[in-house]
Amino acid sequence: MARIFYLHALGASAAEWDGVIDTIGAEVEHVALDLSGFGGSDDARLDVAGLVDWFADRVGDHRPDSWAVVGHSMGGKIATLAAARARDGDPAFSGLAAVVLLAASPPSPEPIDEERRAEMIAWFDDGRIDADEAATFVDANTATPLPDPLRAKAIADVQRSGREAWVGWLERGSREDWAEAAGVIAVPALIVAGGEDGDLGIEAQQRLNVPHYADARVEVVAGAAHLLPYERPADVAALIRDHVRPAFASALPADFVALLASDRVSRRTRAVMTARHAAPIGKSVLTERQRDVLAALVETTLPGVCDGADLARRIDAMLASGQGDGWRLVDLPADESSWAMALDTLASDGFVDCDGEARGDALRRIAEGSGGDTGSLTAAQMRLWFAEARAEIARQWMALPATMALVGYDGFAVGGDGERKQGYRLTAADMIEPWQVQPGAVA
Amino acid sequence: MTGGAVDVVIVGSGAGGAPLAARLAQAGVSVVVLEAGRAFAPSDHVADELAADIYWMEERLSGGRDATAFGANNSGMGVGGSTLHWGAFCPRPDARDLQLQTLAGVGADWPIAHAELARYVEAVEGFIGVSGPVRYPWDDARRYELPPVARNAPADAMARGCAALGIAATDAPAALVSRDREQPHWGERQACINCGFCHQGCRVAAKATTDTSWLPLAIAHGAEVRAECRVVEVERDGRGRITAVVYDRRGERLRQKCAALFLCAGGVETPRLLLNWGLANASGQVGRNFMAHVATQVWGRFDADMRMNRGYPSSLISEDMMRPAGAGFAGGYLMQSLGVLPVTLAANLARGAGLWGQPLVDMLTDYNRLGGIGINGECLPSDDNLLTLSDETDTYGLRKARVDFSYGDNERAIDAHARRAMTAIWEAAGARDIVAVDRSAHTIGTCRMGTNGDEAVVDADGRSFDVENLFICDNSVFPSALAANPALTIMALSLRCADRFLANRI
Repeated sequence: MARIFYLHALGASAAEWDGVIDTIGAEVEHVALDLSGFGGSDDARLDVAGLVDWFADRVGDHRPDSWAVVGHSMGGKIATLAAARARDGDPAFSGLAAVVLLAASPPSPEPIDEERRAEMIAWFDDGRIDADEAATFVDANTATPLPDPLRAKAIADVQRSGREAWVGWLERGSREDWAEAAGVIAVPALIVAGGEDGDLGIEAQQRLNVPHYADARVEVVAGAAHLLPYERPADVAALIRDHVRPAFASALPADFVALLASDRVSRRTRAVMTARHAAPIGKSVLTERQRDVLAALVETTLPGVCDGADLARRIDAMLASGQGDGWRLVDLPADESSWAMALDTLASDGFVDCDGEARGDALRRIAEGSGGDTGSLTAAQMRLWFAEARAEIARQWMALPATMALVGYDGFAVGGDGERKQGYRLTAADMIEPWQVQPGAVA
Repeated sequence: MTGGAVDVVIVGSGAGGAPLAARLAQAGVSVVVLEAGRAFAPSDHVADELAADIYWMEERLSGGRDATAFGANNSGMGVGGSTLHWGAFCPRPDARDLQLQTLAGVGADWPIAHAELARYVEAVEGFIGVSGPVRYPWDDARRYELPPVARNAPADAMARGCAALGIAATDAPAALVSRDREQPHWGERQACINCGFCHQGCRVAAKATTDTSWLPLAIAHGAEVRAECRVVEVERDGRGRITAVVYDRRGERLRQKCAALFLCAGGVETPRLLLNWGLANASGQVGRNFMAHVATQVWGRFDADMRMNRGYPSSLISEDMMRPAGAGFAGGYLMQSLGVLPVTLAANLARGAGLWGQPLVDMLTDYNRLGGIGINGECLPSDDNLLTLSDETDTYGLRKARVDFSYGDNERAIDAHARRAMTAIWEAAGARDIVAVDRSAHTIGTCRMGTNGDEAVVDADGRSFDVENLFICDNSVFPSALAANPALTIMALSLRCADRFLANRI
């Protein structure tokens, strides 16, 4: 079953998610964690790398095949850096399907007013945070005072904060700059800001977190400040659920994810496949109309097995990158132009609105060199372009990890990063090794 | 910036440039190798077809009725050149193929005797390590250093089909080590692990590539290999001799003085440079006679779980079709079993077999039950097939290559014969839903060697007839294609070229 891991804010605990988890319910498994030094756990002064390593161990405790991470405030920085490590092929974070950031601290130094930072650190001068100080903290971070007993619970959690964890985050963790390591991450992200939040409000989210995600959706919860899971548990739960559902629906099968995370796969191979499994990213050169035709062409070329719009976006991004396959036919214009011209021709011939049979007839005529000459390309050029187009469509589809899982291909798992690569011991027909995946449908 | 003068600059670090770099350096010649691509460690390579980054991906224009594919199909980039991605299928050149004109009245004879070339072939095999059968059915005297690699499912199927039809077939000679083997000046090359990723870069150095064999030997004897250096110009003195090469390294213009220049950039880049420079072309032959092997494939579906991505991809060979009875064509072809990775297969079935719609989906979703068989067939030189310069330029201001290629009657006859033969073998092996894929492979010719400067670009020693300190050593000098896959012959020529250079030194 898919899992959601929850990383709480400074001074909170796993309990801050109670309302959210109750609302989402049992459709996924929920793992709310106490960060070290919070919620009564052993105190520790961890730097950011230490926090991410600690999270890797917690994910490892559960060995999930498909999972999402929700990070609130301080937890958001950990979530983003875990996603970056997943992108880079770190097996500890393999299978990450989605990220949700709530009023999240960015990978770069968190914007905190220095006086406020000093004041919060000073709360520990007498050895512990007292009730008034904790109440000040909770009230300052909510748009309107929380109802009791929620407010009392939040205040008690702040008071339970360990000195090392609290001061360590304020003095060091929040100041560490991990922007470069975070880079740009492909996994779909939902970035939520409280409409009344201060330093980590929508402006900071747009500036400091959004640029790290290629596929980011931003939401603002009006009338709430920083402690979103306490302030608006139902709204937050709905946002999380709507974000992770499609991500989990397109997740790779469990045995495939486990194999991808294994030491049979190199970091580089894992990173490449992780990126490719995410939604396509990159620039676009095709118009929406051209992309719609391309999606219809994809679905006619590979009927019933693929998402035409997804593959169309991938081919669009490939064309926009200008990185072709090392050659092109003399008789066709440059790749970008010939695709645009050919798709325009199909569009004006009504390809999108045709039924499958009529689409097939149109393509058959083009393949024979006797169709598609109503636009900028000749019938001979359309024939050549269609040969290129169907090859590109087939390539892009076959390279998807979901397709590999569908056909039972495990050739990516032939060698990790150890001194000796594993390869295959058995090569004859009808003999497979115990680790090999069986053909099966995408979960 | 100007480097101190060296005796020899070699452009290209693949099968053409690397062996001669080693042999010249061993003889005390100062050598600089300029390679356009990056340097890799074997473990840098990736087990993914789209992510592999060892190909020459700069655009070439392809024309003619049988336009040939470049990029990952046949063109390498990186220290090691095309040996980084070659299939390591390693048949020896056939004596009859070197005398095609004399024996069949078509094509061209090589200006080098087979016996002499064969000595160099054996020297290459001895250095790089070749795995092969104990007994080679078409050459009783032949021995291979290492036992054959494991056959995979398509190889077993081909053996079955061939046996049923009385066609001889055996374990393919493969330029990879089937046991751990110490490579001088490099280290331990690990035994082949049957991973199937020869074309994406061998991660265990089992496969013979020049970066794990010839280049370390060259470097141990003082040669310098410079990666990411793109040669863009040559400088010449009043007598027309080359005095220096100018190259780009990450945007910086650099210059290397030299007493002699070897172009070993392959059948496309070597003639492209010469045509861009207007050099060494008094014969008018630079770019002419482009050849690509007929590389038709036949695919079929088996009842068994084949999983053809496993194992050395071409682990069975037959030379029975080198001169088949009543063939109706000159020359012949080699057959090999084929395991092909999914993405390459998908593109080949869509483009080369014309599949789309449900038939394509049916084949691709049944990937684990497919197996293939393919050929490497003779291609005759033709006036119609040539490399010229396009009006489009690359990022260095050099005009792009345009290659026009169409099969002639002989290639079409080979293709037709091979389709029949392979279909029969596949039917005998139990395959269903058999389809053929049109395909050509390798870049050959374009700077042919010969005995006469009116008809050839270089002599038998690889020396330009026009520029006395310019040499060419790669597949562009082949006068005819030979049915054998070219890398082994290129390496043999490279050693010979070095010996001839040393012998002729003043």
